Amino acid sequence: MSNFLASVAFNQWILHALVLLPLVGVVPVLLGDDRSARRTALVVSLIELVLSLGLWWSFDPVEGGMQLVSSAPWIPAWGISYRVGIDGISLFMVLLTTVMMPLSILASWSSITRRERAFYALMLTLLTGLIGVFIALDLFVFYVFFEIMLIPMYFIIGIWGGANRLYAAIKFFIYTMAGSLLMLVAIVVMAWKVAGATGTLSFSYEHLLANAGTLGSAAPWLFAAFALAFAIKVPIFPLHTWLPDAHVEAPTAGSVLLAAIMLKIGTYGFLRFAVPFFPQVALSPEVTHLMVLLAVIGVIYGALVAMVQPDIKKLVAYSSVSHLGFVMLGIWGVSVISVQGALMVMISHGISTGALFLLIGMIYERRHTRMIEDYGGIARVVPIFSLILTVVALSSIGLPGLNGFVGEFLVLLGSFPAYPWATGLATTGVIFAAAYLLWALQRMIFNRLDNPENESLTDLTRRELVVLLPLIVGIVWLGLFPGPVLRRMEPATQRFVETVQAGRPNPMQLSGQGSR
Amino acid sequence: MQLDLGTPMGVTLGLLPEILVCAWALIVLLVASWRHETAADSRLAGWLSFVGVALGGAGLAWLWINNTTPLGLAQMVTLDPFRYAAAALILVATGGAILLSLGYLERELLLAPEYYPLMLLAASGMMFLAGAEDLIVLFLGLEVMSVAVYVLAGYNRANASSSEAALKYFLIGAFASGFLLYGIALVYGATGTTNLSLIGAQLAGGQLSLMAALGLGLLLIGFGFKVAAVPFHMWAPDVYDGAPTPVTAFMATGVKIAAFAALVRVLVEGFPAAHGLWQPVIAGLAIASMIVGNLVALAQPTIKRMLAYSSIAHAGYLLAAVWPGTRLGSGAVLLYLAAYGLTTLASFGFLAALGRHGERSVTYDDLAGLAVTRPWIAAGLSICMLSLLGFPGTFGFIGKWYILSALIAEGQIILPVVLVITSVISAGYYLPVIMAMYMKSPASEDVHQGVRLYPAAAGAIALSVVAVLVFGFWPRGALEASVHSTGTLSQMSVPVARK
Repeated sequence: MSNFLASVAFNQWILHALVLLPLVGVVPVLLGDDRSARRTALVVSLIELVLSLGLWWSFDPVEGGMQLVSSAPWIPAWGISYRVGIDGISLFMVLLTTVMMPLSILASWSSITRRERAFYALMLTLLTGLIGVFIALDLFVFYVFFEIMLIPMYFIIGIWGGANRLYAAIKFFIYTMAGSLLMLVAIVVMAWKVAGATGTLSFSYEHLLANAGTLGSAAPWLFAAFALAFAIKVPIFPLHTWLPDAHVEAPTAGSVLLAAIMLKIGTYGFLRFAVPFFPQVALSPEVTHLMVLLAVIGVIYGALVAMVQPDIKKLVAYSSVSHLGFVMLGIWGVSVISVQGALMVMISHGISTGALFLLIGMIYERRHTRMIEDYGGIARVVPIFSLILTVVALSSIGLPGLNGFVGEFLVLLGSFPAYPWATGLATTGVIFAAAYLLWALQRMIFNRLDNPENESLTDLTRRELVVLLPLIVGIVWLGLFPGPVLRRMEPATQRFVETVQAGRPNPMQLSGQGSR
Repeated sequence: MQLDLGTPMGVTLGLLPEILVCAWALIVLLVASWRHETAADSRLAGWLSFVGVALGGAGLAWLWINNTTPLGLAQMVTLDPFRYAAAALILVATGGAILLSLGYLERELLLAPEYYPLMLLAASGMMFLAGAEDLIVLFLGLEVMSVAVYVLAGYNRANASSSEAALKYFLIGAFASGFLLYGIALVYGATGTTNLSLIGAQLAGGQLSLMAALGLGLLLIGFGFKVAAVPFHMWAPDVYDGAPTPVTAFMATGVKIAAFAALVRVLVEGFPAAHGLWQPVIAGLAIASMIVGNLVALAQPTIKRMLAYSSIAHAGYLLAAVWPGTRLGSGAVLLYLAAYGLTTLASFGFLAALGRHGERSVTYDDLAGLAVTRPWIAAGLSICMLSLLGFPGTFGFIGKWYILSALIAEGQIILPVVLVITSVISAGYYLPVIMAMYMKSPASEDVHQGVRLYPAAAGAIALSVVAVLVFGFWPRGALEASVHSTGTLSQMSVPVARK
């Protein structure tokens, strides 16, 4: 495989192709008629998936730095170039994106019946934006992708969403924009300050990372701006209030992509930018305490609120707040194990929660209700659906042998030495997760079949099985054999931990940090 | 090429674009005095005037390509790229406004062809204003521009709010001119000259006298009125709302471009030594305009009034770009004027089409479902709204990025933070436009039936929208042009001291 990829110079064009292909695909989608739009979009996203799978082999698993880097000048007068590359962190984010996209498109097959061309064109545009965010190595380019993907998601929620879609769409947009614009100021300030110290105005990631030490007393403010932008995206408690609205109102494909990928942009931002740029701020006692506290609150609060939701989609939305709390805890654990765990949670949450939203979408299409109490005992009517829902729910809970367990276990293991109390508290989140999901399962698919409307439910179609099967395979495979994935992550996490630990404030000279 | 502005020939050549536009306006008037009956006559005057704009553009291009500079000290008017760039923007705005007017005037039965020569006269006044090196010329340019625009604002005589707009604009404008003239007099009293470079030289180094400071303050008030900065903005919403829509487009773009170009030149060439005095004032005006403009725009029921308040907010962003007084800052002013001008022209163009016959005021609800029946108009208007919002991928974002860079390069942080926070607020009124068009269903099937975009206007709007996108993704050329244009401006002036 590697030889074949090398013979076609795969590494030189793959990242550009991944960004451009969906945009090119928008053209036939818009030119065709409404019924063929979905097929075209599916084909484009499948080609994208096949291409991206090549990264698995062409990626060098022992290299910790950026790979496949290539750049082209964009606005040279301002030190801006179109610069892309991946490492062991972004590789999996890219793969997660390319896997989830065709599944989301296939899941929209029958549920999107109006303005299909527009819908699938927006999905493909969103794909470009998501890939771009994860591979950008220039902060201007990153910002542009970070913002541009708001537009397709705004339309997807606003046009094809539920009853309260307008409110959810504008809330989602304004929350994200509020954070990201302050980050824009921080990016410009950072570039000019580094330019003042080094004489080179450049927005290149490596240049800024190498010279972030020259920022001095501005660092806390800059960190705050970056952290706010990503914290809203994650979302960290108490900035999470846009999430339930957006996830619940969005159509199934929108919810899947929001949960599986767009939330990860926040944690990815912490891993890639906020923490490595400003380790002396991020790991200072005050910030550490705050972030760990908010992470643990997120884990427990998300789980408790999920428990009382009558709406299954809202329950899953709040469970995201809980899971993402684990990721934040893992990042702030700053050990190779905890950060690997955080990455694993990011991937597993993408797969499991994506699958949950898909399943909810499928049952909603049949019954047009998301209220848990409207169901009950449907395991007898739709056994395959119930079986898959149970497996996915167990993986989300973190049952050993399935994917959810690996990440959360590593996070708890890796963070325990640094924060024994916080880790102990976070462990209860796993228990709560079992409580809310199993209870919901019990009320939905077990119990007595007492609602006659549920008796005529039909089980999953072949198309729906095709959508779910890859995710089930992923759930089991990652749970049993996480090794190959962890191995590819390890050099990059190692490097992350080293960078951050090197910049960690020394307790002896904390007071002298500002004047550096 | 160097021109000796002391000789009649030199002055004539140096003022070629202004003279061409002005003389052409008289020719069009002459034609109009014979032919002023039918719609065809109005159209003829319109196209003739468009030719006049093109002629002015040709004259300008000749000066710019030859890189014309003055021999010795520039008196009365300057010859530098900053003037050329501002004049080019003014001509684009004028040409655009003429194209927007062509179908509109016929639809609204405003067939008096004198409309177009007035636009040309206003344009020549704007170009004088943007190129003035002397405060007297500046005042003359301002008056030529203003008087013509007063008449244009009240062009729809049958409409009470149009007449009200004209009267209001005239009274407030006269008031502002008074301030400006007093300021000029005091500055003359303090320095003994009205030439900007000489004023700059006089004030350099020495203590600023009270008289000069007062003069500067009155000048700033006068400019504050003209650019509609808070707290001198009260006239703007009513005037923008009442005037015929293409005239509003002309006011929001042309008048702003000219006034900001003049403001930058006065401050950077005439008062660089007094930057300690004017920078806080400009910062205060900028912050007030950004906050008030954006907040009040949230509460507007009609699109036109919303755009009027949003133009106040944009005056705030532009004032923020004036603050640094550096080459980067002046470049940011030019670039933002270009971005804002193109976007605003297209937005008002769409609005004129959506108003339909009788110029009904368009509310957010009137736009409901437009994307289904008129997808191109909806897409174009959405791009305009995103550009005004400063969203990446549009020219508006490049403009805002440039302003942020210019401010941050000088160590200013408060203005950038206010700018981005108020930009988030502005999403609260730009997005509902998109939301109404795409996410709401129309009240009835045929609600958008009367919407018609006339070919000339459609062409102008399409060009503007495409330019907004192209410069949003490939801003390199525009950036380099704006940086190049400010070169001589800072060479002639005493550089503003960095803190």
